[in-house]
Order: sequence, then structure tokens, then C-alpha cells
Amino acid sequence: MKKSVALVGALAAMTLVLSACAADDTETAATTTTEETTATETVAAAGSVLESVQEAGVVRCGTRDALPGFAVLTEAGEHEGFDSDFCKAIAAAVLGDATAVEMVDLETADRFTALQNGSIDVLVRNTTWTASRDGGEAATFLQPNFYDGQGMMVATGSYASVEDMNGAVVCVAKGTTTEGNAALESSRLGLNWEVRSFDETDLILEAFIAGQCDGWSSDVSQLTGFRSAYPDGADALEILPEVFSKEPLAPAVLDGDTQWAQVVNWAILATIQAEEFGITSANVDDFLTSEDVSIQRFLGVEIVTDDGSAVLDPGLGLPTDFAYQVVKQVGNYGEIFEAHLTPLGLERGVNALWTNGGLLYAPPFR
Amino acid sequence: MSSLPSAPTRVPFWRDVRVLRWAFQLVVLALVFALLFWLYGNYQANVAKSSIPTNLRFLDNPSNFTIPGNDLDQSAPVRDAFYQGFLNTLQVAIAGIVFATILGTLVGIARLSKNFLVRTIAAAYVEVIRNIPLLLLLTFMNLAVVLQTFPRIEEAWLPLDLFVISNRGIAIPWFIGSAPILLAVGAAAILAAWATGKIRARISDATGKPARAGLYAFAVFALIALSGWVALGYTVTLPFVDDRATDGGFRLDPSFFALLVTLVIYTSSHIAEIVRGSIMAVPRGQGEAADALALKPGVKMRLVILPQAFRIAMPAVGNQYLNLIKNSSLGATISYFELTQIAQITVGNGSPAVPAFTLTLLVYLAISLITSVIVNFFNRRLALVER
Repeated sequence: MKKSVALVGALAAMTLVLSACAADDTETAATTTTEETTATETVAAAGSVLESVQEAGVVRCGTRDALPGFAVLTEAGEHEGFDSDFCKAIAAAVLGDATAVEMVDLETADRFTALQNGSIDVLVRNTTWTASRDGGEAATFLQPNFYDGQGMMVATGSYASVEDMNGAVVCVAKGTTTEGNAALESSRLGLNWEVRSFDETDLILEAFIAGQCDGWSSDVSQLTGFRSAYPDGADALEILPEVFSKEPLAPAVLDGDTQWAQVVNWAILATIQAEEFGITSANVDDFLTSEDVSIQRFLGVEIVTDDGSAVLDPGLGLPTDFAYQVVKQVGNYGEIFEAHLTPLGLERGVNALWTNGGLLYAPPFR
Repeated sequence: MSSLPSAPTRVPFWRDVRVLRWAFQLVVLALVFALLFWLYGNYQANVAKSSIPTNLRFLDNPSNFTIPGNDLDQSAPVRDAFYQGFLNTLQVAIAGIVFATILGTLVGIARLSKNFLVRTIAAAYVEVIRNIPLLLLLTFMNLAVVLQTFPRIEEAWLPLDLFVISNRGIAIPWFIGSAPILLAVGAAAILAAWATGKIRARISDATGKPARAGLYAFAVFALIALSGWVALGYTVTLPFVDDRATDGGFRLDPSFFALLVTLVIYTSSHIAEIVRGSIMAVPRGQGEAADALALKPGVKMRLVILPQAFRIAMPAVGNQYLNLIKNSSLGATISYFELTQIAQITVGNGSPAVPAFTLTLLVYLAISLITSVIVNFFNRRLALVER
């Protein structure tokens, strides 16, 4: 009898622990189950992230804190960088306030889990858009905000080309497409690399400084950032010319909420379209009086015609002036790029507007 | 007064303590199951909504990463990567258990030494190591010892020209030959050595001559290993530095080394305390009897005290073995490719998180349970049979 009392006690304790663990997710879990029963067919319709974001008055943006140029924590405790600005752009579009963002720092290996369990609304964290992530991680990828490619950084003078690196130790970040690309490139060139994966870039840096790694492989944009912040100075490192993968870095939202996906997508696209129009945060107010109908539509200005006046509402669920807010409070794509990535020495390259031979192309705002 | 019960009536069931106890237990059990069922239902609903797979089919997908120190390429299935992670976990766990037991026993005995210096050093070791968080110890071992204290490969230490020590790993001389044959010869030698020990013990029982089982067993082991080596044409390769890597011999991964050393010193500090306590728990009369027989201190410790102490220590030490196995998962933080690291990487590369981590969890559970069974087996074998 004593034994079974102990057993019951143990089970009761387990119950407590389980319920404590579950407490965090109870809210989301409960809402989803009720949805399941009421609206199984029309999953996207009910309980949109857009509504919950508007209700909370804050966008929870999955990001990171130590990637120079893209997202770093300033001494004041603010997130600053290219990715951080896109988080702010989303907040400006949805809530009309670029500061209404809660930056959630995520480990690389945890980022999709955070998206799946609803602890963030959108992931803007240097994440490569791939088919199996689209399919397997329940993520919907949107307009890439940076077209990147994987490269290799080595100590200056140690190697002239990736092909010279036979038997080298290549260090990468854990849980990234980088691992697979490095392994693939190694077998493609017959080089027999030893690929070591680290939790955090700080650890790669330590290992690299100590000479445990011959090469540091990552997206070129990231390598440029790390190089600029290298303790021995940027000249101690060089990035080899070869780029051996396509890495479209795109924001991602959870599958199954089309409305929210469109909202985030158009917030990103607004920055691109603004640059195409030549609208910057500095001169956006001058454009409010523009006679150009395309610009009037874009900025959500009243368009006066013979039949009266109207404001374009594309029906995205966004305020009609969302593009104005994005440009006014954050800036256009070019401004964001110049503020954060140009100082690292990154060129626009393929990230130029399509009108300049790049890949950035926004669908028309009409 | 007429209604006084004449015979003992049955207590109604809602006031029957036996029924109530059972009912209470059933209610709690039902609640627990209901909670688990509800959580599982939520999980199912959520993953179905976001079309995340819940089956184990991801095991057949290409892994998309490579593991240092073996030949699996990135097109090998996730299953193989998991298996390799399992082997790496076993490798560090088994080596860790062996070394932690030896070191822990020595330190435990040293704690009781009559020599002040030995006793104090052992006490300091135990108190310092066991009061440091394991993760911190591991991080320190990796960053400060392996990365910074060990030389770069260009300046590698080459003690006796037999080893190559650098922060790229420690290379040791090794056999050339296929692993299964090596294992078979090793197993045969160990079996023969064990049988020899048994036979010597029996002869000793019959004739009263000293058994010297260890000596004979070692001789047999060495003989078989040597003859197997000659017959099957094993050779030894010495490691050497080839440009920026080591070649020849067998290279211990730097993260393996850091993890093993950390687990050994951490676990040994706990085992030392168990051994010390167990030695002190051996009745004083046993030691005094050994003294009365004029046994030398070493013999007294080896033949009288320790066998009885181990009997007492066994369950607690087994617990430490389980801890060591589970703690080996911290290797993921320093890029040792054990089970947890494999699980994390594969989840980052498109495998569904819940099934992948559930699988990992079950593998750890299986390893731990098997270890428990083995420890319990020896515990029963060693236990005093009291009549």
C-alpha cells in the first residue's frame, strides 16, 4: 500500500510539473484547439496573427544580437542593424509605430521552433529560404531582404582559393544551411574538409583565433560583418573569391496565415518600391503632394479624379498609409542598406534594384 | 438503546478506507492521463495545422551534414548520422566511466590517507571540482585548456615522437587493421584472461597456493593479443603532422578530449566521496582484524577493505554512471558530435523537432536503463547474502 501511495504522489508531482511546463503554451494551445473544432476548413480566416498583433500593440520579431551589420545589441540595449530595421518596418506598417517591436533573440537552432510555437510573429534572422524549410519547418518565406551566397574566410595569405584547402578544418554555425553547403562543396571538390559546427558565432571566433579552424564558412554578408569586427583587425582575414551557394535571406512567418504573410511581405516590398520611386525618409513628405498617381497610390494619398476622390486600400488589412509610415520611420531599402551594410564594405551587387541590374523588384502598388 | 448494533455491520463503501484509497489513486491517475492526453491532442492539432510531420520518415532523408572523424557524407541518411551520434555518445560514456571509476577510487582512498599533504590535496580536489557547475567546467576546459593551452598545429607538441598534441586534437599511435577483427581478438583475449583467472582461483581454493589470478590473466591476455597481432599482420602507425592536419595513428577529437576530461574529473569528484564514505562504512573490526594478521597496508586495503567498500558503494556509484551518461549531452555545446548535437543539427536542417528529440530522448533512456540493469546485476552479485 505504501508503495502505491508513493506512486500516486509521484504522479501528482509529475502532473504539477507538466502543468507548469504547459502553462506557457496554454493560451496558444487553447485558442488553436477551439479553432480546430469551429473552423477546421477555414484555418486561415480565424485568429489571424494580424489581429493579435494589433491587439497587443507590438510585433514580436525573432532576431539575434551579435551579427555585425544585421542585428547587434548596442550599449543602450537596443537592437540595431539591417534585419532589425526590417523588423521595425513591419511594425511601422502594421501599427504605424516603428518602435512597437519586441526583439526576441534566438539561437540559430531554435529559430523555427520559436516560430512554430507562436512565441514570435515573424522571423527576420538571416534565414535562408529553402524548399525543405518551407515544407518541413512550417515556415512561409516571403520577399528576401538580402540575396546572399556562402563563402569562405581564412587568415590572410593562408590560402589563395577554396580549392587549395585540402584536409582543412572548416568551422560553421550549427543548424544552418551552411553545414550542408560546406559538406557538399567539400565532396564536390574532393577536398575532405572536417566541418565543425558551433552553437554560437562567438565560439567559432574563439576557435578561429586559437587556430582550431582553417576556414570560417558562412554567408558572405556575415563573414564581412565578422571580418570588420575581428579583434586583430579586418586585414588579418580575407574572404576567398569563391561563392558556392545561393542564400536568399528572407523573413518567414508560420504556415497557415495568408493574411499575416501578405502583410509582412508588403511591408518589405514597400522599402524596395520606395527606393525605386526615389522616396527616402528625408523627402517622403514632399512626395505627399506628388501628382503622380502611382506615388499617390503607394503613399496612400487621396487621389482626386473627376468622379471624386479615393484612397487606395489594397485590402491587405494594413492602414492605407502603411508605405508612408515604413519609409518615414525606417527608410527605403537603399537607406537601410547604406546605414548598416555599406559600412561593412558590402556592395549592393545583386541586391540592387532591378532597374540597376539587381534582383530587387516590387510588384506594383495598385 | 435499542438500536445498538448487535453484530459488526459493514462500513458503507464511501467511508471504507481501502475503497477510498483506491478511488483516490484512480482519480489522480485518470487526471494525469487526461492531462497527458490533452497535451498530446494539442500537440497533434498544432502540428497538423502547420503540416509538420510527426512520423520518423525524416530518418531516411539525406542528412546534409558531415561528422568529423568518419566517412559519412552529406547524402547519408539522417538515420546513419543518428547512429554515429549514438556511437560517439557511447564512446565518451564508456571511456568516461572507466577513467572516472579509477580516478574516483584513488582520490577517495587518498582522502583517508594518513599523509597530510595527500589527504588535503584530495579534499581540495573534491571540494573544488564538485562545486563547479559542469557546463562551466566544460566551457573552461574547451576554451581555456584545449583551445588556448594546447599549441596550434604548426607548433604541436610531439612527446617522444609518439603523440601529436595540438588544439586540433590528440593523435596517438594506433593499429592498422579492420576494427571488427581488432575487437574480436580483444574480446577473445579478455575472455581467455577471465577464464584463466577463474581457473587460478579454483586451483588456489584446492591447493591453498596463492592464486595470483591477475598476473596469470594478464600474461594470457598479452599472449593472445600478441599472437593475434603477429598472425593477422597488425602494424602500428605513428601519427605525424602533415601540413595543417595530423596523419597516421588515431586522432582524438579536441572536443572529445575536452568532454572526456571534464566528465572524468567531475564524476570522479563525486565517486571519490562515495568511495570515502563506503570505506568508512566498512566495520572497523575488519581493518583491525587485518592488522592483527599483520597484513601490509596495501594488501589490507586491496583484499579486506575495498571489496567490502565496493559492495556498499555500488548502487551510489551506478547512479554516478547514469549521471555521466546523461551529462555527456553537454558535449553539444563544444561541438562534440554526440546524440544531442546530431539532433540539434538535423532539426536545424529540416528534420521535425518533436520526433527527432523524442527519438533522442528514448535513446538516452535506453542507454541509461541498460546501464541500470548492468549495475543492478553486479549489485546483486556483490550483495552480502545474509541468513
